[in-house]
Amino acid sequence: MLRGKRILSTYFYLFLLVIYLSPLSLLAFSFNNSLSAGFPWRGFTLRWWDAFFSDPVAPTTVKNSFVLAVAVAVVATLMGLGLAFVLVRRVFRGKNVLLSSLLVPIAIPYLLIGTSLFLLLQWTLDLKLSLFTLALGHILVALPYSSLVLMARLIGFDRSLEEAAQDLGATGFTTFRKITFPLIKPGIFVSMFLTFIISLEDVAIASFLAGSDPTVPYFVYGRLRRFEGLPLVMALSSFMVLIALAFTCLFLISAIRAKRE
Amino acid sequence: MKDDTTTGKRVLCILADHLRPILSYLPPRLRLNLKKLLFILLEMKKLGYYWRLFPGVFWLVVFLVLPLSVMLIYSFWTKVGYDMIPTWTLQNYVDIFVGEKGLYVRLLLKSLGISAAVTLGSIALAYPVAYYISTRGGKYKYVLLALIMTPYLVSWVILILGWRMIIGHSGLVNTLLVGVGLERVKLWKTWMAVIIVLVISWAPWLVLPIFVSLEKIDRTLLEAGADLGASPSENFRKITLPLSVPGLLVATFFVMIPTFGEFVAPVIAGGTSGATIGTAIEEAFKRMNYPFGSAMSFLLVGIALIASFVLIRKTGLRTLMESL
Repeated sequence: MLRGKRILSTYFYLFLLVIYLSPLSLLAFSFNNSLSAGFPWRGFTLRWWDAFFSDPVAPTTVKNSFVLAVAVAVVATLMGLGLAFVLVRRVFRGKNVLLSSLLVPIAIPYLLIGTSLFLLLQWTLDLKLSLFTLALGHILVALPYSSLVLMARLIGFDRSLEEAAQDLGATGFTTFRKITFPLIKPGIFVSMFLTFIISLEDVAIASFLAGSDPTVPYFVYGRLRRFEGLPLVMALSSFMVLIALAFTCLFLISAIRAKRE
Repeated sequence: MKDDTTTGKRVLCILADHLRPILSYLPPRLRLNLKKLLFILLEMKKLGYYWRLFPGVFWLVVFLVLPLSVMLIYSFWTKVGYDMIPTWTLQNYVDIFVGEKGLYVRLLLKSLGISAAVTLGSIALAYPVAYYISTRGGKYKYVLLALIMTPYLVSWVILILGWRMIIGHSGLVNTLLVGVGLERVKLWKTWMAVIIVLVISWAPWLVLPIFVSLEKIDRTLLEAGADLGASPSENFRKITLPLSVPGLLVATFFVMIPTFGEFVAPVIAGGTSGATIGTAIEEAFKRMNYPFGSAMSFLLVGIALIASFVLIRKTGLRTLMESL
């Protein structure tokens, strides 16, 4: 039995090693003085990082990605709040239809959201593809996640608290601010986080709708596919790896601090 | 919310009280109409709660139902040069099944196969990790989960480049193999590479739903099992595993559907031998063969919806919600 435990923990650390292998080797080899991205090591250089920061397009893709992800997270969470409140607290005709169509964006591959929106926006309505059209698609796929997270939060919600506040004379808005919002705040955080990640991760929808405003994954995909300027892509990727690591460190520090208090 | 109707009613009652003396001077016909008007106002106030649905429903109708309908219509059109002309032909659908000597059917089956393999592989990798965190994590559970999720914060597309350095032609694995005096293995630009990359990209994401379902298991059940003489492995087989099935189904849903339409990993890691139905659709759209691309897309929509329907039916919406 002890042996089984040891195998399990060995496996766990092996798993951690494997999933960190790719980001860490990206980080290491972005300093490699070689035109071919990867092995063998040919000495330390900063020129790829320099090339990345002086590139006209690459740094703007980082900005595009983050602006888009924040916008998607906020809009999708607000919409999800509206849907979740009514879906949990009211019974109405067509509720099941609404629930199942809400699931459709995550029940079909993202690729198809991309192709169908592309046909509508570009081919039928003749809109210029940009970060805005991409946001339309991202909000659509983020909506099911935000609504489901918030619905789960609202189902376990004790309504008598709200009723008590109202009996004591609180208006609808005050009740929301003082009772409802603090109680569903964790759900709102989870929803924002999830939708943020979904937008930041996506390349399938972006490759159909981003047009002339590439996000980081779309930019990297284009470069990888044409197999050009890979060292610069390594620097860009490492930059994203550093951001992710910083994000986790912040999370861990705040978690430890919260535990102490 | 209760308040909408009650405050609304209260306001209207006060209003009616004040209006009553005035109302009594009015001719009876008009009085009736005013009452009706008040009643309609009350009803509208009740309906007022539903404005919250509007943005979401608008989005679903305009950016989901409408584009899918447009795509369905285009899938019956015909491509002429770089344009399409409106026809009502089934030719595009027929082409999927008989065109190019059944190439597209083979690609479709390949996509289904890859999607099944990736689902099984990533769940098999993620399950022990979730089990470890749930049973042995102690107070560090959430720290460990955060560590698992970090690589996922970097878009997995970016990490594909990292994987090329590891399993690519002159990557880490091959460098090591040559160093030991063995032959290089050709992994990159084969469908094996596609599966490896996808499995490792998905596994961290799946730890979460499986972890949630493991956390929900009542620990006293395991104690009862042990008291009745079950060995730990029996306990796992007869209690833990069956009770974590909902989490596994949610995990399946999360991986299988996106992987089914995958085209990014097949293009980059699989090269020409990695072609799937996803890459075929992307190719058709690149070549501006929209009617054919639409027909293939719509076929995928149908298959994915049926699969999702079955999975969600089995898991239940509640489990899906709580796994997020």
